[in-house]
Amino acid sequence: MPPLIPSRAITTALSALLLLAAGRPGSAAEPAPLSAADFASRVGPVLERRCGHCHGAERQEGGLRLDTFAGLRAGGDSGPVIVPGSRAESLLVRAVGRGDEALLMPPGEALPADEQGLLVEWVEAGAPHPEGSLEPPLPAPPFDPVEARGFWSFRPVVRPPVPADGDPADPIDAFVRVRLAAAGLVPTPPADRATLLRRVTFDLTGLPPTPDEMEAFLADGAPGAFARVVDRLLASPHHGEHWGRHWLDVVRYADSNGLDENVAHGNAWRYRDWVIKSLNDDLPYDEFLRRQIAGDLLVEPGADPERRRDLLTATGFLVLGPKVLAEGDQAKLAADIVDEQIDTFGRAFLGLSLGCARCHHHKFDPVSQDDYAALAGVFTSTRSMESLARIARWQENIVAPPDAQEAHAAANARVEAAKGEIAAMVTAARAALAAAGTDPATVAEDRFPEETTGRLAGLRARLGELERAVVPLDTAMGVIEGSPADARIAVRGDHLAPGRRVPRGVPVVLEIDGPVAIPAASSGRRELAAWLTDPRHPLTARVIVNRVWRWHFGRGLVASSDNFGRLGEAPVNQPLLDWLAAELIDSGWSLKALHRRIILSAAWQRSSDPATSPTGAAAADIDPDNHLRWRGSIRRLEAESIRDSLLAVGGRLDRTMGGSLLHVANRAFLFDHTSKDETRYDAPRRSVYMPVIRNHIQDCLWLFDATDGAVPCGDRGTSTVPSQSLWMMNGDLVLEVADGLTRSILAATPGDARARPLLLFRRVLARPPTAAEEALVQGSVARITARLAAAGTPPGECEREAWTAVTQSLLAANEFLFIR
Amino acid sequence: MRHPTPRLPLPDRRRLLAGSAVGFGWLAARNLLAEGPTAGIDHGIRPRARRVIFMFMKGGPSHIDTFDPKPKLTADDGKPFPAAKPRVQFAATGNLLKSPWRFRQHGACGSPVSELFPHVARHVDRICFLHGVHGTNAAHGGAVLKLHTGSDTFVRPGMGAWVSYGMGTLSADLPAFITICPTLAHGGANNWGSAFLPARHQGVPLGVASRPATEARMKFIANPRWSADVQREQLDLVRGLDGAAPAEPLLEARLESFELAFRMQRTMPAVEDLSGETPDTLALYGLDDPVTANFGRQCLMARRFAEAGVRFIQVTHSDGKVQWDQHADLVAGHTEKAAEVDKPIAGLLTDLARRGLLDDTLVVWAGEFGRTPVAQGTNGRDHNPEGFTIWLAGGGARGGTRYGATDDYGYYAVDGRMSIHDVHATILHLLGIDHLRLTFRHGGRDFRLTDVAGQVHTAVVA
Repeated sequence: MPPLIPSRAITTALSALLLLAAGRPGSAAEPAPLSAADFASRVGPVLERRCGHCHGAERQEGGLRLDTFAGLRAGGDSGPVIVPGSRAESLLVRAVGRGDEALLMPPGEALPADEQGLLVEWVEAGAPHPEGSLEPPLPAPPFDPVEARGFWSFRPVVRPPVPADGDPADPIDAFVRVRLAAAGLVPTPPADRATLLRRVTFDLTGLPPTPDEMEAFLADGAPGAFARVVDRLLASPHHGEHWGRHWLDVVRYADSNGLDENVAHGNAWRYRDWVIKSLNDDLPYDEFLRRQIAGDLLVEPGADPERRRDLLTATGFLVLGPKVLAEGDQAKLAADIVDEQIDTFGRAFLGLSLGCARCHHHKFDPVSQDDYAALAGVFTSTRSMESLARIARWQENIVAPPDAQEAHAAANARVEAAKGEIAAMVTAARAALAAAGTDPATVAEDRFPEETTGRLAGLRARLGELERAVVPLDTAMGVIEGSPADARIAVRGDHLAPGRRVPRGVPVVLEIDGPVAIPAASSGRRELAAWLTDPRHPLTARVIVNRVWRWHFGRGLVASSDNFGRLGEAPVNQPLLDWLAAELIDSGWSLKALHRRIILSAAWQRSSDPATSPTGAAAADIDPDNHLRWRGSIRRLEAESIRDSLLAVGGRLDRTMGGSLLHVANRAFLFDHTSKDETRYDAPRRSVYMPVIRNHIQDCLWLFDATDGAVPCGDRGTSTVPSQSLWMMNGDLVLEVADGLTRSILAATPGDARARPLLLFRRVLARPPTAAEEALVQGSVARITARLAAAGTPPGECEREAWTAVTQSLLAANEFLFIR
Repeated sequence: MRHPTPRLPLPDRRRLLAGSAVGFGWLAARNLLAEGPTAGIDHGIRPRARRVIFMFMKGGPSHIDTFDPKPKLTADDGKPFPAAKPRVQFAATGNLLKSPWRFRQHGACGSPVSELFPHVARHVDRICFLHGVHGTNAAHGGAVLKLHTGSDTFVRPGMGAWVSYGMGTLSADLPAFITICPTLAHGGANNWGSAFLPARHQGVPLGVASRPATEARMKFIANPRWSADVQREQLDLVRGLDGAAPAEPLLEARLESFELAFRMQRTMPAVEDLSGETPDTLALYGLDDPVTANFGRQCLMARRFAEAGVRFIQVTHSDGKVQWDQHADLVAGHTEKAAEVDKPIAGLLTDLARRGLLDDTLVVWAGEFGRTPVAQGTNGRDHNPEGFTIWLAGGGARGGTRYGATDDYGYYAVDGRMSIHDVHATILHLLGIDHLRLTFRHGGRDFRLTDVAGQVHTAVVA
């Protein structure tokens, strides 16, 4: 049998003792932490007596001297001996604790437990010393920052000259042509106009062109017709919806927490709507970022309520992550939340996996654990959570305008007044009865005089009305300043093993004017945002222009759009990437100007048919994945566009913008432990407005590779799995749309089957059918009608059913789902 | 958070068809049914199991009341626990609480089982008990995620998704990973999701824990309106409409996936249909008794999917109430829960054995944690991730053994300690996979089911 007291339990018991001694939260009695005076009176003598023989004035074994301030601070040959506040990193504690085989001090008999405990307590208290701080100097980074800055993505963006090859084409094409020529590829010609309109409409708004838009464009022979379409689409409110959805992927947006306790993010939609509005307004990208990191700090005194609301709402970015809300270890929860913020910040804005440096220096990129702690300090100094107690609550800020706040206060005051009135009446009634000799505390109200109970009932009814009249104030997920303090590294990532303290700041390798100076009294988010959006920042502009390129073409110039580090892919055309980055900054960070530039390039407008290029056959070997953009790429619609298109061609799309479709209260469970499903996805609204329930997003979105916002994702996959086909064949939405479309087509063509294919193709694909397609459709209708009749379908229904089946096939066809 | 489907080589479709004896089947095989990276690759480990049936007991069954008896706990009933309780506890607990159930030794091996599991007790010679398992999280959500995905902090692929990724599928018409009546809470779909692995590796859920198993069907598998021959016409039209366009592998793959879906519509319901099972078999799983019928149906479906070629099948015992989570009412709760699963589990083991499937089917029984030997209230136990029991049967697990131990009271794992990563590494080992080599590159890093840990405990391998 195992021993009575498990060894782990002994360790645990000892830890508990030590934690108690150190006065950690949770202990019943919290003794005052040791002071510098205690060092002189208690700690110093122990060191003198136990260690002085080998580490004193006469001998300094291992280069270590423990009887002087300088000696304690300098440490010995094995490094710092004291790291204030860090048991785990202080060699002194490890040596006397005898946990480390290689380091058993003093030799021979171990220190008595009380002396060990004293040393630990002193280190944990920050190793106070009469002569000053024992904090050792920060170690040099594990890489040479100057050399590390030589990596391509850390080098400053320098606007490259546009290659001059005599052709006055646009700069993007000039850069692309250089690479194509070097590979011996001749690009395909522009796609035909119908294909272009379909491509650009989906690209900029996520919706299909209407038949009328198609006809108008095909009929517009005037110069600049396509540019006018681009401007029309960029001005459409649907543009912000579609591109906002892209951004929501990057910032792992969701309307529920997911992870362990899947409760509703009842106010996340305000952030989503702010993103859509910002993109529609073409809010400069640098300001867009500043607000998401430090919006609360940008609110000027006297700012108008709408601006204040927007600035506070933007910081929702920092709070949207999934959290283990029932985590019992609050220190771990706090550390995990900050880790998630750092990781998202790194991937979304910098294309760097900063989270890797939580437990150790980054294995591949020049990011040290100290860099991680420098950023962690910024976020630990920020209040992201109202409470860490199970079930933890994220921070929300009041965004209601002043008049609503006043009305709210007034309504609350009325409630309090009514309660006071009731209490006074009850007290008075009891007092009256007490005078009659009854113990007032025991008097039930039914013994009050009838008149009193009647008036009480009236007052209570009135109180109920008043309470119902209190409208909850609008709040938005977001952050505010917390208690500013530098953070410590976590030794081996263990939140219970704090190491050295690191000043708040940014990764050394990405410093622009040396360390970022952060005032002691602020979290540093304002400075972080300023650094991030400095035009000299090497990553910010490169990362976003690459993302935009990725969303226009299906693949970034850097294919790993979330990773610009050493394990990411090298840019396929860095001069083009850098030119676009420089251009973005010079345009005042206008994303709409960037879209316009890209879409008006020949590179974006090429035909996807390889046969239209004289080198098309060879290109399949030279550049099969079309990295160099010698042709247009065939792309499947994103999940949201598939659903939105079905609703649109079915005439069912509700184009209302904004607002919440969540039907459960803020912080209420979508799924509690019973697995009862509280989600509901029945509104015919654009998919961007459908609730994103982590672990359980809508079937059709999930099946077609939408993300559920668990992690940042700037490069969605495109899977092809049979469950998608099952949904197209058997799902309710497709059948309902086919049904509705067919009914309206049949109603428009009574008795005229020959007119139906034209109408059907126009409605679904915005083009007329070819003769061959017409024949295919009519053949299918005839065969299906016969099969239905043979199976006993009433004759009056066979035709409608057959046309419905055919309509469904058209909705399932590749042409409907893919952009050519 | 999906990884893009790996890019296929892009040979021209006509060239491909001309040069390949299997025609379209080649594309289908590559794109839709791809064998995993380890299929056909020798990791130097003899594969003992070809598939896994994972029986998940949600809520945290008590190890000390089922398979890990503690005489000292009985002796010291009502006394304080003589060592420190864990730093992080879920709830406040009191003194030691003895098990209300008697244990008896069973089988040739003499492994003890409490009177809660009389049917499973008859199979102890097939069972390898892991008594030294320990987790990292005292809350349901974290612990469930840890057990299924190896992480209680981040969103990671589930164990079944990793097995699908590593080994591929054995059936052309069925998914590699099916989870029957999964719980939507405490991680929900994350527990069977593919996270960054390609989407085809995610588990296909049949039903949910809050609904009866009789409703456990694959979504969208049947059409409410069209017969199969009408659907055939529809698919022919889809292909016909696309015929005029230039050949593109991406488009071709999608047309093929319609064909696979069409076949699945026939295959899945046939496997789900229990009407061909004999009354004896139905009774063996307890389908003739309302107490055992629900979980019995799940177990029988699991056997049918195992036979049909599914790699990883999970069944979940949960309900709309508190499941195995007896913070109070331990006696009534555990009695009820055990009665619901005991006979079906034993029936599954019997049935697999008599069909010759148990040799290469690894059966895993686990909750997300065990329960404390100290009382919560007067008749309850709190969550205990510090030491608990998982058991394995078949598939190369060393039957008739008990590996590892908790302390005298059953609080901490002290001997043969196995972290969840160790359990995962050992399960993969039994499947012939080296957990260190089953990796996927994502976001600049190679990820594993076992993260940066995991040790195979070869002592549990037969």
